[in-house]
Amino acid sequence: MTDAPGPEDLPDDDLPDDDLLAAELALGLLDADTANAARDRLRHDGAFAHAHARWTAWAAGLATDLGDTPPAHIWSSIIARIPANDDHAVNARLRRWQGGAIAASLAALVLGITMWQRPVPAPQIVSVVQAPAAPMVAVLSGKAGVVSVNYDPASGRIASVVDGLDTGQRAVELWVIPADGKPRSLGLLPQGRPGWHPAPAAAARAMQPGVTLAVSLEPQGGSTTGLPTGPVVLTGKLGQAS
Amino acid sequence: MAKPSDASINSGFSRSGFSRSGFSEPSLDQALEHIASGDRDAFAEVYRRTSVKLLGVCRRILPERQEAEEVLQDIYLTVWRRAGAFDATRGSAMTWLITLARNRAVDRLRASGRRPTDPIEYADHVADPAPDAETQAIAQDDSARLTFCLGQIDGTDASLIRTAFFEGATYTELAERVARPLGTIKSRIRRALVSLRECLA
Repeated sequence: MTDAPGPEDLPDDDLPDDDLLAAELALGLLDADTANAARDRLRHDGAFAHAHARWTAWAAGLATDLGDTPPAHIWSSIIARIPANDDHAVNARLRRWQGGAIAASLAALVLGITMWQRPVPAPQIVSVVQAPAAPMVAVLSGKAGVVSVNYDPASGRIASVVDGLDTGQRAVELWVIPADGKPRSLGLLPQGRPGWHPAPAAAARAMQPGVTLAVSLEPQGGSTTGLPTGPVVLTGKLGQAS
Repeated sequence: MAKPSDASINSGFSRSGFSRSGFSEPSLDQALEHIASGDRDAFAEVYRRTSVKLLGVCRRILPERQEAEEVLQDIYLTVWRRAGAFDATRGSAMTWLITLARNRAVDRLRASGRRPTDPIEYADHVADPAPDAETQAIAQDDSARLTFCLGQIDGTDASLIRTAFFEGATYTELAERVARPLGTIKSRIRRALVSLRECLA
């Protein structure tokens, strides 16, 4: 990328540097087709998503102008436009049924990421309902690294890849945190190689699309209390694989 | 990239009501989580703490006050409905809110058919200012650092990057506005981004 470029247009696939592509996406430099292709990558490429998140934070730092206090009627009309009985939990369930096409592709994760770029379009109602046993995936990321998790409800097995996580001498424990907020252990993840193991029954029941997964660093052998005892270094949301 | 604090992640483990939680100053991350479960107090708190900033973003993009205020309302309605999509591991709550505000305001700008055509001051020669080591050491925190690093790259490059972000101008439109070939603009901005990355790292 540091080579002196010629005056001709560079072809769109001449992007040797993924980090630059992430920057271009975050800053809004790409035309619609290239941006959509790059946005697609956010779903399944943890490193790219991580780079994009970093550039997004820097881009947001461009907004240094302070406004003044909005007039009071702004807040009143915002509140007036929220239905009195707005129930997020019910809405979330409705969206899950309505959002077949979107839910089929990594539901929560995709929504979370595309939110950075543009408002999420209203989901289309589709007549095909996802089979409940469709495999699910999550990409957990944080400063510490990336862990990808696949869960197959049919067999109850979890497959994982731990990438670039500096754990010291500690064990990597995976948790599912359902709506009740109580973490259930999904077991220890092997480091340095892909691995798979059956999900404990109590945790397997909580493995639904949209649920939060987290990774904590624990003493060798894992947490002995049934709850995370070490730092939670990565989180992500579980979604259905397409 | 804000560090996901342990507190913000751990708050997912105990869902007490926002107003009754006993936190004296809950983080914005926590507040967004509470909004996702329908907590209006948390929503009011987020509005109180961020609306001045987000109105600033809107007015930077949409100078007309009434239009900026309308978009501000839309932004907070979206925050109410979509707070659950915020993921603290992908960045800070403030970044999420600013990005949402920027995207909404740019969408409005473009939906209105107004394409800004203000001239961008353009110099073909890229200046190469040397970073000043002493100033660099002072620019510690993230926003000060960004301001510093933008100051270190060429002035034309910096204004092209700002125009992209605040006016939603793509490479193609930037090239049109400065009447230079697309390839020239692309490679110029990419080199600027490389410099920016090195400075920010």
